[in-house]
Amino acid sequence: MSFLSEVQLDDGFAPFVAFRESFGFVPRLLQAQTLLPRVVEAQAKLEGAVRLQEGAISRMQKERILLSIAVDRRDAYCTALDSKVLSSLGASEGQIDSLLNDPRNADLSATDLTCLQFCLKLARHAHSVSSEDVEALRACGFGDEAIFEAVIATALAIYRCTLSVGLGPEPDFAWRTPPAKRISLPHEGASDSLPHVHAAAKGKGPYVPAPYLSPKTFASFDVVKKSHGFIPNFFRAQSLRPDLLDAELQAVDRILVPEDLLTRVQKECILLAVSAANLNSYCVAMHCNLLRGLGMPSEEGDQIAVDYHESNLSEADRALLDFAVKLGTRGPEFSREDVATLRTYGFSEEQILECEVVTALNNFANTLQMGLGIEPDFEPPPAFEQNKVHLSDSAQTPIGGEGVVHLIEVADPDAEWVAQAQGGSLEAFEELVRRHSQLIYRTLAAILGNPADAQDAMQDTLLSAFKHIGGFQGRSKFSTWLVSIARNAALQRLRRGKNVESLDEAAYNDEEEFRPRQVRAWQDDPEQFYSKSEVRQLVERGILALPANYRAVVMLRDIQQLSTEEVAQQLGLSVPTVKTRLLRGRLMLREWLSPHFTANVRGVAQ
Amino acid sequence: MITCEEFFAEFGDYLEDQVSPEVRKELELHLSQCRACHVLYDSSLKTIKIVTESSSFDLPDSVSNPIIDRVMAKLRTDRS
Repeated sequence: MSFLSEVQLDDGFAPFVAFRESFGFVPRLLQAQTLLPRVVEAQAKLEGAVRLQEGAISRMQKERILLSIAVDRRDAYCTALDSKVLSSLGASEGQIDSLLNDPRNADLSATDLTCLQFCLKLARHAHSVSSEDVEALRACGFGDEAIFEAVIATALAIYRCTLSVGLGPEPDFAWRTPPAKRISLPHEGASDSLPHVHAAAKGKGPYVPAPYLSPKTFASFDVVKKSHGFIPNFFRAQSLRPDLLDAELQAVDRILVPEDLLTRVQKECILLAVSAANLNSYCVAMHCNLLRGLGMPSEEGDQIAVDYHESNLSEADRALLDFAVKLGTRGPEFSREDVATLRTYGFSEEQILECEVVTALNNFANTLQMGLGIEPDFEPPPAFEQNKVHLSDSAQTPIGGEGVVHLIEVADPDAEWVAQAQGGSLEAFEELVRRHSQLIYRTLAAILGNPADAQDAMQDTLLSAFKHIGGFQGRSKFSTWLVSIARNAALQRLRRGKNVESLDEAAYNDEEEFRPRQVRAWQDDPEQFYSKSEVRQLVERGILALPANYRAVVMLRDIQQLSTEEVAQQLGLSVPTVKTRLLRGRLMLREWLSPHFTANVRGVAQ
Repeated sequence: MITCEEFFAEFGDYLEDQVSPEVRKELELHLSQCRACHVLYDSSLKTIKIVTESSSFDLPDSVSNPIIDRVMAKLRTDRS
């Protein structure tokens, strides 16, 4: 009996029919998930596309990858199942024994051995995979699609092993078990036993090309938009194989989108905490942003990435993350008791199952990102990057024993002055205020929509900053904190007045299409016909005429010239939201400026 | 060749130079053949240049200094 209850599903349940056709039976790993048919479907989609087909690499090659990783992870369940499947495909008893003990004796071609070693390295030390490893595969004749298939097969192996640890099904067969000793990989020295925090810089991805895939012809991108709000590089980078991407998105749709059990925020917290424990900067940045888009303050997301024990999550949600992180990163320690513990916090069987599947999906995604060298969409939180080395040490020891990791202060050019100002130095405070007066003013002007009001609001902002500076904890940059003080001062002022334009994520419908109308060509060097102050007035009037939420983004990005990430951080918005508003704002300004700069307005005749 | 709608879906990232080489190739092919999108692209680039170089909302010292001085004077009085 596995750790969770099971229910009897109809004989005609499509995923079970498919497994019966392929294997002759339904593996217990799938039966152990019958409480939630949609997650059984998710796994069946993945297995159907990734495993059960001949592709650029053969079925046999894929099964060898799955088995070797199961063995490497000491996964008795998957080892028994996968060696049986391999045997049914015609592998000899001797070869299977060799795969279990040392693939170098399994009579494999040099190509197959290189592929297995690549996949084992990715499964064991995802951080140490670089373009050199991928080049080694190419040198053996692996093309882009074969590389992609090897990576995704590895990710699937990890998905299954994570679930097998979490669900504890009895083996389908009393058959092969993993040997006690792990094989060593080529060039694996002592240093390889620790995650390579900075290895990514060694060989930059992406490792396979990503042909253009139109959202119009590839309908599954709708799922991405639904679950992410935009199309991250993670999915774009897989456009080489729309069939695999499609299966993956169908799995995502069944696991992440429904909110009937765990909420989307809870799922994102699981994905964030387990990605952080896996030291995956890409996925940490992605889920921090998604959480911000769901309304979580960015400092809270950063804190979850660094150490959720110190976050403001409820006790139950922290227990949920303890459970997921242990399952996702310290499988050998995980047991039935962890499931029992989580039940005491009031989680239902279905919720626990969903948490396990989300964790498995996370490990799948982390592996795929590392294996394909997928480039970041946005910067990970600085606090996470700076704590990574520290985290990688603590990742080696069970969480809870050695004390918690506090968010260390973010490197900040203002730090010294801030410390003095907090100690009561008015001179230090004055220095800080002078440094940032421009930023404060522009923030105020953006929100209030009126330069005179912004000047009036400066004084309130500065007094409020002085009053609250003792409470600034250095979790964000000082300038970010100042912007939040200025925003509050401005919003208070608006509330005292009349028309309040909210800056919240949902206040404006960003989905609404904004189509550019002006199609007349502009002059070369259009500004030359106007004086500097004329241009400035024109731009200022245009910016002040923008709706408040576009105005703030354009002001901070194009006038104050902060990066997109900084703007998102300062306004408490997700990066995709900032990008959408920035484009709309710029296009509106373009419409505004067009009549002045199109050809033959003042003309060369002047 | 991609459609104008598909071009527009990538437009924001293209302006920020955040598209993959493969996508860039498609977009540039489209730009070379579609006048309307070319005008949109060219004028958007010019808009960004004009806006970023406009020195808009520069608060002159002559305005900010008196404000800061006033605040500091108040803080010093409060303290003493």
